[in-house]
Amino acid sequence: MADNHKSPTTDLNKKTKTYLEILGDTILPNQLLFAVLISVGISLGGYNIGLWLLPSIASESMVASYSLLIGILGSVFSLVLCSILFKPKRILVEEETSSESMKQVFEDLQLDPLEELELIENDPITKKELEEFGVLNSFLALREEQKK
Amino acid sequence: MSLLITAILFALLGAIVFSLIGLISGTDETAIMVPLTLLVILLGAPPAAVFSFFMAAVLAKHLTHAVPTALMGIPGDTTAVPLIDHANTLRRMGMPHIALRKMISGGIIGAFIALPTAVLLGQFLGQFADFFKSSTGIIFTLAAILIAFFSKGKWVSILMIIPFAFFIKSLDLVSFSILDKHLSISFFLGIAIGPIFCDLLFATSSSARKTIERDKAKEYHLAPETKTWKGYFPNPLKILTGRQQVFTSITTFISSLTFVFSPVGMTSLMGEIVGSRTKGAYKKSTTSLAVMNGVTESTYIAEVIIPLIAFGIPLSPVALGPGSPLFNAPPVFTVDPINNLHTYLTSWEFFLYGAIGLIIASLIAYPFSMNYARKASVLVMKLVSQEAIVAMFIGLACLLAFHEAQLVGIVLTFTVAAVGGLLNRILGIGAGVQFMIFYASTWIMMTLFGI
Repeated sequence: MADNHKSPTTDLNKKTKTYLEILGDTILPNQLLFAVLISVGISLGGYNIGLWLLPSIASESMVASYSLLIGILGSVFSLVLCSILFKPKRILVEEETSSESMKQVFEDLQLDPLEELELIENDPITKKELEEFGVLNSFLALREEQKK
Repeated sequence: MSLLITAILFALLGAIVFSLIGLISGTDETAIMVPLTLLVILLGAPPAAVFSFFMAAVLAKHLTHAVPTALMGIPGDTTAVPLIDHANTLRRMGMPHIALRKMISGGIIGAFIALPTAVLLGQFLGQFADFFKSSTGIIFTLAAILIAFFSKGKWVSILMIIPFAFFIKSLDLVSFSILDKHLSISFFLGIAIGPIFCDLLFATSSSARKTIERDKAKEYHLAPETKTWKGYFPNPLKILTGRQQVFTSITTFISSLTFVFSPVGMTSLMGEIVGSRTKGAYKKSTTSLAVMNGVTESTYIAEVIIPLIAFGIPLSPVALGPGSPLFNAPPVFTVDPINNLHTYLTSWEFFLYGAIGLIIASLIAYPFSMNYARKASVLVMKLVSQEAIVAMFIGLACLLAFHEAQLVGIVLTFTVAAVGGLLNRILGIGAGVQFMIFYASTWIMMTLFGI
């Protein structure tokens, strides 16, 4: 982990690969290191403080459970803290309108748009449903596109 | 009466927490369900409340994990993988919200069909329970071989049964000689967080690191919202067409009976059967999604309930993975001797408290994902970083291991996580196989070496 301690910006300037994919999402290694340390520290710290402090106030049989609860609250708190300290790296692209045309989709899926239309026309239940959902027009537009 | 209220409160807790967790995509089912369920059990919740919590958590998570699956085209977790093709078709046609509504309506139907079916089947199978209980060791071993054969790794999983059992038993002996008690939570926490820990190990290895390096942050494409429907609590039956209702009901009923197969396998199978009988891309995708999500839900619920009612030993992939704390969470629940939900609850109570969990999850997660799916996922994705999530689960694992056996527990958990995680990620020996070997290890070592 020696090279993790460089700041991510210098890494970016050198155009090296900065991110690591952990459990399906990208993270910055040194931030993750600190996040893990914070989380483990707070939850185990909370648990041990509970074990040390509680015997004087709570009944003996509940000390372990209450301490565990303090530890859990600690890890939830660390989730909030780490999210504030280390902002998400994900790039969220909010598509305002559907970027692809229906025609393109049908071509990619190797489907015949006219056949699909015919099936919809002949199936009153599906047609009504599409109408209610307000998407029937995008299907009907297929025919226009096909004519071109 | 107060037990009923406690159960409702725990179900509420499960439904709220897991509705939020479901929005985070790509989460590992076992790694998340196990620690949180363990916490509830160890905190001293009554068995009935634990069961309501678990049921609410399962349904809520599956209802909201449909959100990333439908809106972003990334599976909410492993059980959503088979649905991704159909979800993508609808998403690209510009109708991710329809995909989402079909999925969660199917899920709700599946859940409510599975509960009574599974309770009845569990009760029926219960008459063979004595046979199962008296020969748990050999059953676990045979089941380990069977599950290993159907795991991703196939032959290597079978090959590793004895070495992994040897490994488990050795750790058990070492920790026993230090603490003078047998550990269990630390072991299966290790197996559960294996995949996360494996990624972390990759990150610290200068040779393995290359495989997980990325030059830019992961990009998520979120589809636009097209609100076309009014009201707050839509009737799930009205979202589906008559034909979809019939197909969903039949397939979820069948899959409630096949509790030994993996939910992912059943989902693909049923989806394929129904999909191949449906014409037209739109109809095929919507019908398949409703059916598949319903089947996932019903298999999942049945796989937990049937072994709990009938045997008290975890004899299904879900019972071995996410549901394992319901069977084994010492000192509260144990499998050997059987002292867990099986002993504490009657079939009727399983039905009652299961229904409480499912109803509360439906009341919270269903309208939530129907109405606020997009807003909520934008909020979660913008505010909660992956660093914080991974760190929280490592922290929770440390906490639980420390609770069981102080520093020994932590070292043991991460030793198991390192070995189990690498076996899982690299060789495809899944967590279910590892759990089964863990249960079988005592019998295997006794038979081979007499210890």
